[in-house]
Amino acid sequence: MEIKINNLEKYYGNRKVLDIESLIIEKGKITGITGPNGCGKTTLLNIIAGLDKEYIGNITYNGLNLNKEIADKMTIVFQKPYLFKRSVYENIEYPLKVRGIDKESRSKKVLDIVKKLEIEDLIEKKAHLLSGGESQKVALARALVFKPNLLLLDEPTSNIDPDAIEILEREILKFNEETNGTVIIVTHNLEQSKRLGHRIIEM
Amino acid sequence: MDYIIQGFKEAINLLISLDREVLLIVSLSIIVSTSATILASLISIPLGVYFGIKKFKGKRLFSRITYTLMSIPSVIVGLVVAIILSRRGPLGYLDLLYTKKAMIIAQTLLVIPLVFGLTFGLTKSRGDVIEKVAFTLGANKWDTIILIIRELKIDILVNIATAFSRAISEVGAVMIVGGNIKGYTRVITTTISMMNSMGDYPMAIALGIILLLISFVIHSIIYSYSQED
Ligand SMILES: Nc1ncnc2c1ncn2[C@@H]1O[C@H](COP(=O)(O)OP(=O)(O)OP(=O)(O)O)[C@@H](O)[C@H]1O
Ligand SMILES: [Mg+2]
Repeated sequence: MEIKINNLEKYYGNRKVLDIESLIIEKGKITGITGPNGCGKTTLLNIIAGLDKEYIGNITYNGLNLNKEIADKMTIVFQKPYLFKRSVYENIEYPLKVRGIDKESRSKKVLDIVKKLEIEDLIEKKAHLLSGGESQKVALARALVFKPNLLLLDEPTSNIDPDAIEILEREILKFNEETNGTVIIVTHNLEQSKRLGHRIIEM
Repeated sequence: MDYIIQGFKEAINLLISLDREVLLIVSLSIIVSTSATILASLISIPLGVYFGIKKFKGKRLFSRITYTLMSIPSVIVGLVVAIILSRRGPLGYLDLLYTKKAMIIAQTLLVIPLVFGLTFGLTKSRGDVIEKVAFTLGANKWDTIILIIRELKIDILVNIATAFSRAISEVGAVMIVGGNIKGYTRVITTTISMMNSMGDYPMAIALGIILLLISFVIHSIIYSYSQED
């Protein structure tokens, strides 16, 4: 999905936290965003995700304004993910369920993604009892499972150990290659943005 | 002092012997208040969640009106229902006044604002993050409401229990629309109130103890359930 941002301004009270004249996120590419704390990275992702509508300016998705159909094709993984108070399996299954996918295909897709991310051992656990890093992995699985056209990631590996980071990065790259899904990833790790990003934006 | 102790003794006897009249009164109380609580919950919980996450102009004023209605006096509800159901009232032809149905209607109307307000307040403070996640995963409005109810189910159960406690312990509404007819519309609170004015304390005390026990049992169940979760 191609994102075009024009003359975007965001205020909290009188304070301007975002001011972007023009930015194009290319379709099918991975864009890394870096920048110091508080520079507005999360704010920008929330606006693109359609969660924050209180801004000035214009954003188009493949040339269109945001609507439900477009919203259904994108997703965001939060810096601090919120998982539902049910099993990990049911969490990952949720986006498939609301899309009316039948039980059998749901099960296949869920098992496939947990295998890829190597989190099979978590599947029966209650999601709200997981550690920070485990939660991030599950949240990523829940986002990847329905193969969105646009995947927004807000520091998806901030709590994750080096071995697991390798796995997640591999799967993010594979997702991008296999489905041609557009990815925007916010990260404080410059190395990571170099490893993943076709393009890096410094905010 | 003696008559109080005597009252307690006789009350315990009534309870132990499972007095038929006491059983009838208690079961009617439970049936009426449970029905009212279920009806009110079915209406108010989805609506409370819906308005809790909805952003609209005047939400603050709306909150204040809601919170006021939550503590509406039961006699007022009873009066309004009685007027509507009375023979010359708009629904008089249904012939419902002084029936169990009238009592259920009155208590339902009494706790609808209570359940709505509690659910609304809960969702306003805790539903936002759930709604956001639901949206990013492709849920529609209805999916989101169901999800929020499931995520907040413990708090919602506590709210339902609060509503039930309010219903079963109120006296004004059931007295006005039920009429405290022996063996037909007589419930715990109307009996206590009547026995008190007649100076017949044992029955009043026995029913008072049962009322407290019911509350205790319900809150214990919910407490243990919330611990499990
Ligand atoms: N709800 C809010 N109300 C007021 N100010 C806010 C709000 N949310 C964020 N801000 C402010 O907006 C600025 C940008 O916040 P944002 O969360 O987008 O930063 P960030 O780049 O993601 O930072 P980090 O690297 O720490 O995650 C910060 O200065 C923050 O204090
Ligand atoms: Mg941030």
